[in-house]
Amino acid sequence: MSLPSPIPRPTDSRPTGQPATETTLEVVKLRKVFGGRGRREVVAVNDVSFSIRRGEVLGLVGESGSGKSTIARLIAHLYQPTAGEIRLNGAVVPNRLGSGALRQFRRHVQMIFQDPYASLNPLHPVGYTLSRPLKIHRLVRGDLQTQIAGLLERVGLSPAATYAAKRPFELSGGQRQRVGIARALAAQPELILADEPTSALDVSIRLDVMNLLLDLKDQEGLSMLFITHDLAGARYMSDRVAVLYAGTLVELGPAEEVIDRPQHPYTQLLKSAAPRPDAGPVSGEVPARGEVPDLGALPPGCPFEPRCPFAMPECRAGLPRLYDVGNGHQARCLLHDPEVMQRHSAP
Amino acid sequence: MNALNLGGLRRLFSQPRTVIGAGILIVLLLMGLFAPLLTRYDPNSLEFDSFLPLSVKHPLGTTAIGQDIFAQLLYGARLTLLVGAVAGLIATVLSVALGLTAAYLGGWVDEAINALINVFLVLPGLPLVIIASAFLRGGGIWPVILVISFTGWAWGARVLRSQALALRERDFVQAAVASGESSGRVIFMEILPNMSGLIAANFFGAALYAVLSEAGLSFIGVGDVSLVTWGTMLYWAQAKGALLQGAWWWIATPGLGIALLGTSFALLNFAIDELGNPRLGRAPAKPPRQGRVPASTPAPSDALLSVQHLEVGYVTRAGTVRAVRNVSLEVNPGEFVGLAGESGCGKSTLAFAATRLLDPPGAVLGGTVALNGRDLLALSPEELRQVRWKEFSLVFQASMNVLNPVLKVREQVYDAMQAHGIHDKKVLEARAEELFRLVGIRESALDAYPHQLSGGMKQRVVIAIALALEPRLIVMDEPTTALDVVVQRQILQEISEVRRRLGIAVVFITHDLSLLVEMSDRIAIMYAGEVVEQAPAHELYRQPAHPYTQQLMQAFPPMTGPRERRSGIPGRPPALSEQLTGCPFFARCAKRMPGICDVKPLETFTVSEAHTVACFLYDPAVPLATRTLALNAGTPPPAPAHPATEVNLESALPYSQTN
Amino acid sequence: MPYLLRKVVILVFTLWVAATLNFVLPRLVPGDPVSVMLAKYQGRLDPSAVDALKIAYGLNDLGSPVSQYFSYLGRLLHGDFGRSISLFPTPVTDVIGQALPYTLGLVGITTILSFVIGTALGLYSGWRRGQTGADALTPVSLFLSSMPYFWFALVMLYVFAFQLKWFPLSGALDPFPGAAFTAGWWSSLLRHAALPAFTILVTSVGGWLITMRNNVVSVASEDYLAFARAKGLTERRILSRYVLRNALLPSFTSFGMALGFVVGGSILTEIVFSYPGLGFYLYQAVVGLDYPLMQAIFFIIALAVLLANFAVDLINVLLDPRVREGRA
Repeated sequence: MSLPSPIPRPTDSRPTGQPATETTLEVVKLRKVFGGRGRREVVAVNDVSFSIRRGEVLGLVGESGSGKSTIARLIAHLYQPTAGEIRLNGAVVPNRLGSGALRQFRRHVQMIFQDPYASLNPLHPVGYTLSRPLKIHRLVRGDLQTQIAGLLERVGLSPAATYAAKRPFELSGGQRQRVGIARALAAQPELILADEPTSALDVSIRLDVMNLLLDLKDQEGLSMLFITHDLAGARYMSDRVAVLYAGTLVELGPAEEVIDRPQHPYTQLLKSAAPRPDAGPVSGEVPARGEVPDLGALPPGCPFEPRCPFAMPECRAGLPRLYDVGNGHQARCLLHDPEVMQRHSAP
Repeated sequence: MNALNLGGLRRLFSQPRTVIGAGILIVLLLMGLFAPLLTRYDPNSLEFDSFLPLSVKHPLGTTAIGQDIFAQLLYGARLTLLVGAVAGLIATVLSVALGLTAAYLGGWVDEAINALINVFLVLPGLPLVIIASAFLRGGGIWPVILVISFTGWAWGARVLRSQALALRERDFVQAAVASGESSGRVIFMEILPNMSGLIAANFFGAALYAVLSEAGLSFIGVGDVSLVTWGTMLYWAQAKGALLQGAWWWIATPGLGIALLGTSFALLNFAIDELGNPRLGRAPAKPPRQGRVPASTPAPSDALLSVQHLEVGYVTRAGTVRAVRNVSLEVNPGEFVGLAGESGCGKSTLAFAATRLLDPPGAVLGGTVALNGRDLLALSPEELRQVRWKEFSLVFQASMNVLNPVLKVREQVYDAMQAHGIHDKKVLEARAEELFRLVGIRESALDAYPHQLSGGMKQRVVIAIALALEPRLIVMDEPTTALDVVVQRQILQEISEVRRRLGIAVVFITHDLSLLVEMSDRIAIMYAGEVVEQAPAHELYRQPAHPYTQQLMQAFPPMTGPRERRSGIPGRPPALSEQLTGCPFFARCAKRMPGICDVKPLETFTVSEAHTVACFLYDPAVPLATRTLALNAGTPPPAPAHPATEVNLESALPYSQTN
Repeated sequence: MPYLLRKVVILVFTLWVAATLNFVLPRLVPGDPVSVMLAKYQGRLDPSAVDALKIAYGLNDLGSPVSQYFSYLGRLLHGDFGRSISLFPTPVTDVIGQALPYTLGLVGITTILSFVIGTALGLYSGWRRGQTGADALTPVSLFLSSMPYFWFALVMLYVFAFQLKWFPLSGALDPFPGAAFTAGWWSSLLRHAALPAFTILVTSVGGWLITMRNNVVSVASEDYLAFARAKGLTERRILSRYVLRNALLPSFTSFGMALGFVVGGSILTEIVFSYPGLGFYLYQAVVGLDYPLMQAIFFIIALAVLLANFAVDLINVLLDPRVREGRA
């Protein structure tokens, strides 16, 4: 079953004369369950919803097992969701896409991978790797080599001619990652899914890659999903931030709001655990024990409850909903439920 | 995994095994090809007397019915090689097709093909071939080839399927799919080329199997014995009682031919396997006995650990890569010393070399490492074994696979102590429980196997083991890098507390300077193999002297304060294989002094007590005016050009020593 | 235990495939064994005997091929393999019963021996890489395992039995060895088994050597080995608890499979030495177009292989803690 018509681009106007869509990506109650058929079921993504507007960067923060990479792969159509919807420029993306429609889809959504050492085919020169998206999506205009050179220059790999002939093992981690970025840009997408693009790089190189992504985003008007476990990085890159824990979205809001004034105990934990080089010598207890739970055996109710210093009996009853805490900031925590808090504060 | 690209082929043919294997194959091939030139006789003609002995006219005598054996040998080579090559090829094509299809399509297709593979693998080969051939009697060489191919593909299919499955999950394949590549191109352009080595090795394995099977079949008379192959020669020789007649050459030569052909296939198979798995090859040559720097007796000092003028390198075909250059470092009892630097700066090499865990081609080229006054580098293997773990221990990187997967954790905690004389079960158990309490793991983890523990727990076990004998020094190489940030913080706190309580000195190696500032007494910064600055932690933090340190302290996104743009350090560290004169940071330094920094040999200068820096901005020999100008100018350097050639450490080094 | 369940299912399935192959193959050949037998007895069988034979072989054309197939399977489950044609009227099971112990003895013991020797040498070769002796073992093993082993058997036979007369030329026992299991009987048995055993040993040791060597080399570069050395463990401890246990696991799986092939693996050796084991009789059966015997032997071989494999899978579960939880 394929899309009846090409996925609308933001500048297309609807037949009924409605204004062009401002939301590039909308993810509605996305759910992914692995396993079944004799193996244990693992709920990797549990009813996650968020949206990204045009030109916006949404930071998706979480530790291992949070489901952030799975979400990226779901949006990139590398996995199929078990339930929920993904909408691109307002149109729903069906779970099954024919090859033509799939190729169309890939023009709009591209991905940057985490490990620069694994994300480039070791046998192909950089030029070949970059030529593929151009050829697949029929974006070759004039001389292919010139276009490739242009891409390389835009990601800061200069002189382009020498880089195009190189193979990945001749490049450093930062350079390989830039090639990965160039590859994602080649298809001229509107949405870029950056899956921990700096985690495998040295600390001093991360900033350069992040700056590059920000510059490119501004120049191209891209929307970006920036996945990371580094809170500071998310703060640097993102307009809005979503925090994931064990497959569930626990906090969402403008970047400064969420990170400077976290409202969910897990986000607070993340913040207290994060290294703070600019704050100087600091010590202090991290207020929770335990580790990320086994996704195949999640506790009932709030997944963070076993480790939460503020846990209450109600937390086990069921998954709390997202509560509004002002300024477009939401937290999935009963601490923000006025009724529950009243019950607990009454002497 | 290396595939058969140009560099791979070159390495392949530099191995004696390949050369010999290929050589034998070529000789045999030529024998068959030029048979008409090498002998005048037709292998099937019956014109001669039977059982003639060796002579000039008949170099290998004649058969029982008067055929020239030498002619048969030469012509027989053709069919034997044909069977080997064709059956090998068909079997390989089947293996590749089925293995790849199963791996790529997955689901029920994979299950079905896998079941098929299992069935074929388990059905006994030779009997099956024999019986199948018996039912397909007569009819030339092709039934034999087909039967051999259809019974010989299963092993290859299993191996190739595993490899294809692993490749399918690799990021570059996923990236190709995400780019929009069609399935066909993903299989043929992304996956298959990366399997070329394995497929080639598989071909030779299948060819070997084919040649031996054909020989076996022919020998027992199954298949077409009117053809001339080395196998049928053996059949006739046996049937006509060659040995009883004393005509041993009739038996010996075709058999030897098969043996040589088989060996050549086996050699090539083995050599290609080694290419894909470089560890299997010959052990890297031990570097020549290191010449020591003349003043090799360690200068006396009170320090617990005293590294002086240490030079460590990797001896590769392309020359020696100096990974640690003239490093001097001291650790006092109970002190926490942080060692920070980017990847490739040599910090891990320093740790491994100092603890004598460096494997060839790594070698210590000069300098001393003294622990409690004894030069560690000069100890005999047995002395070293006794000192190990008792006086100093090591915590490896968190991503490494450091616990033996088949032993329970308990045994791995005990054996560290047992190796140093503690054998009383009660003592061992009490100590193990105490250690686990110290690092915050529940005691039941002792009876678990490593794969049952999470990353954080495994690392805690490793730290517990490191504490077992209460060493005076623990060297930790990126102990928390691969762990989640919360677990990382917990473990760092535990390390900090434990060492304060027990008074252990710690050397903590990391690329993340921010971790060190909070916990260290002193910090050393490494760049391109050199220690460029050393200072007490607070002072380094407040007044970093080296331009690299200064930039390093700014090169991260801020957690607090305004969300402003910051810049990293432009360019990247020089390749360790380069010859560097002067300061290695020169090309990227905002405060460089051309003519001084890139020319003078690097020295270390004192900034204040306990604060040293390897930077000419602090060199009293350089005029003050020049230095002040540079300090205040801070002009960013032009975009550095980097040489195109660089020794790729990963391909030259054994696994896990590229830092 | 889903792991073991799957293995049982595969076992039964493969056996069924083997049995079906056995049924299908002869029916692909034009003509039938009864005609062959008739030819052999030159028409001295009367028609009722012929009919009886046909019924005994399942060759009477009563019923469709499908019902024939099911009655064949039924008979198989009862262990009824029919009567041998070349050794008529001996029941096939008797023939197999006679031959099986010889094969099990000869090939079983030599396989175990060559595994032990090959693995030990492989450990040495892998652990002491860089030393001449250890390195030389590899090309030697490659040669030995690429050699056609029946040819090597012939050479051994020629040199040691024919020329030097140290060992007998054929058979498993002297014509009149005395009562079973007496000293004389044992001496005769061993003298006859010596050359075949040596041949099998020499030609199969190479494979184990190389497999073990490669495993050892892989394990030697693992991180847990470096950690073990860092702990200051003695070399003996490292070899026995860290290297051997990990390197042996994959070898052991292959060993299990090889044990299965014991029963059918040394056909050619038995032929060369005229050693009256299963392989030898299989050869006779092929030559004499003795289909029932052929099929029965093949089936027994397949059964042995499958059982051995299954046993190995069982033991794997015990030895490798990772497999126990289905994460091999």
